[in-house]
Amino acid sequence: MKTLALIVLLALAASSPAHAYLKLGALVDGAVVDVTWRGPVRYFISDLGTSGVSATQLRDAVARAAATWSAVESANVEFTYLGLTSAVPDEIDGRATIGFMDRPDLEQVLGATSFLIDITNGDIVEADIFFNTQFQWSVSATGTPGRVDLESVALHELGHLLGLSHSALGEAELQASGNRVVTATGAVMFPIATSSGTIAERVLHADDIAGISDLYPTSSAISDTGSIFGRVTKNGQGVLGAHVIAFDPERGVLISNFTLNPQGEFVIARLPPGPYVLRVEPLDDASPDSFFSVPIDANFRVTYAPRMVVAPQGGSSRSIEIQVAPK
Amino acid sequence: MRPPLIVAALLTIAFADAAHAQVAAGQVTITGGLSWAGGYGIGESSAQLRTNAPGTTPPPFTLFDVDSRIGAALGGEVRVGVAVAPRFTVEGGAVFARPRLSFTISGDPEAGTQELEGESLQHFLFDAALLWQLPMASHPRWRSFAVAGGGYLRQLHQDRTLVESGQVYYFGGGARYWLRGRPESARSIGVRGDVRLNLRMQGIDFDNDLRVYPTLSLLMFLAL
Repeated sequence: MKTLALIVLLALAASSPAHAYLKLGALVDGAVVDVTWRGPVRYFISDLGTSGVSATQLRDAVARAAATWSAVESANVEFTYLGLTSAVPDEIDGRATIGFMDRPDLEQVLGATSFLIDITNGDIVEADIFFNTQFQWSVSATGTPGRVDLESVALHELGHLLGLSHSALGEAELQASGNRVVTATGAVMFPIATSSGTIAERVLHADDIAGISDLYPTSSAISDTGSIFGRVTKNGQGVLGAHVIAFDPERGVLISNFTLNPQGEFVIARLPPGPYVLRVEPLDDASPDSFFSVPIDANFRVTYAPRMVVAPQGGSSRSIEIQVAPK
Repeated sequence: MRPPLIVAALLTIAFADAAHAQVAAGQVTITGGLSWAGGYGIGESSAQLRTNAPGTTPPPFTLFDVDSRIGAALGGEVRVGVAVAPRFTVEGGAVFARPRLSFTISGDPEAGTQELEGESLQHFLFDAALLWQLPMASHPRWRSFAVAGGGYLRQLHQDRTLVESGQVYYFGGGARYWLRGRPESARSIGVRGDVRLNLRMQGIDFDNDLRVYPTLSLLMFLAL
């Protein structure tokens, strides 16, 4: 049986409207700034196991997921494991703690990340991750039918812990039960978990790599990548919450972002230089509240930009306007 | 008539000619005019997501397909040649054109198949070639030739924000007709027609495959 659930983010701040990507943001002096760590992420692992997974197996799974984020060449991401702890993830103690918790009240939540943020500068002071013991977990190298892969969910939650919000690069269907079933994903940061037994989400997608590189760019990432800037309009007015997908036909990669202000402006950053096909779609097959805390416009048809748009190396494209029509 | 057939026909005509007088070694020829390049596909690509099937390599889910093409275009061509032997001329040339990069979207269940407007490219080719005047002539004012060469391709996307470079190798043939003066005389003027088959590597391409396209040139020349 497929076990599907929403992975939610607690303490979700406003999304950054300024640059690239759907990232977590904090309001500092009236402006939204990226929420990031200053220096390496130092974390503890809670010493409680769960059915079929010991605390040391949890530690190892988290270490593998952390290594996957750290391996992104275009991003400066570093984790430091500090040891096992008797603390549990939801304690506000100034320490990043990752562990299992029994949360029957969150029956559809596999795991979640919570933050303590310095609102004077957007720095993350503490972030905890819990994995819900209401689910059956697996740390098998090849996956276990009927169990959710812990490393895959840890990879997603660590993305949040680093400051990424959700990506809408995926396909989901709404079932009669009200649950959404994922049919395909283009990002580890897609909010709906893949089915149990699957281990494919242990690997980052181009969308995830662009996102983390935008938050923690290396100097070469800044000089070697480009961005696409534009605006989505409907009847002359900006569209908020339109999902804009950039596709590089040469490399076959998909990287996306949203229009993040009422003017309908979007920026997709940290793109490998080259021409891109742009596809604009409404956020109508995923739960909008996994992405936005304000109402968005999903009443328009899928539309392509009239021409390819070039992301120039080390710079930004000229603005392109993509006009969409109501459904 | 397809380009390879045109080339074959020209070469056949050329070899049917009788022996004729030759140009003087060291003669410089300046040539310029119009050049038409045929269109060609530059690759198909699929925007794919990872499906939810078990295993490390689940089958993909195709969001949409893109089929891209560089359209036929008319451009300008200039060439400077120096006769290095009675029948051989070394040439350097430059071609500029503004072909259109168009693309067709298909396979998107939420949007029908559609050809999008595309973008206008800037296409530069700087080449060197060896021109061999065939040892036969059917008319005192006509000369046939075979040519082969290669060069550096430089293609700029719209807004000139990205340059993609490659190489083009070509072979073909053509004929020159002297309007004033004769082939063996200095200070002569004439017209020249070329047919070439081009093999393009790299440049703007989504598969980085070898692309083949024809060019037809109609040029004026001035022999000094």
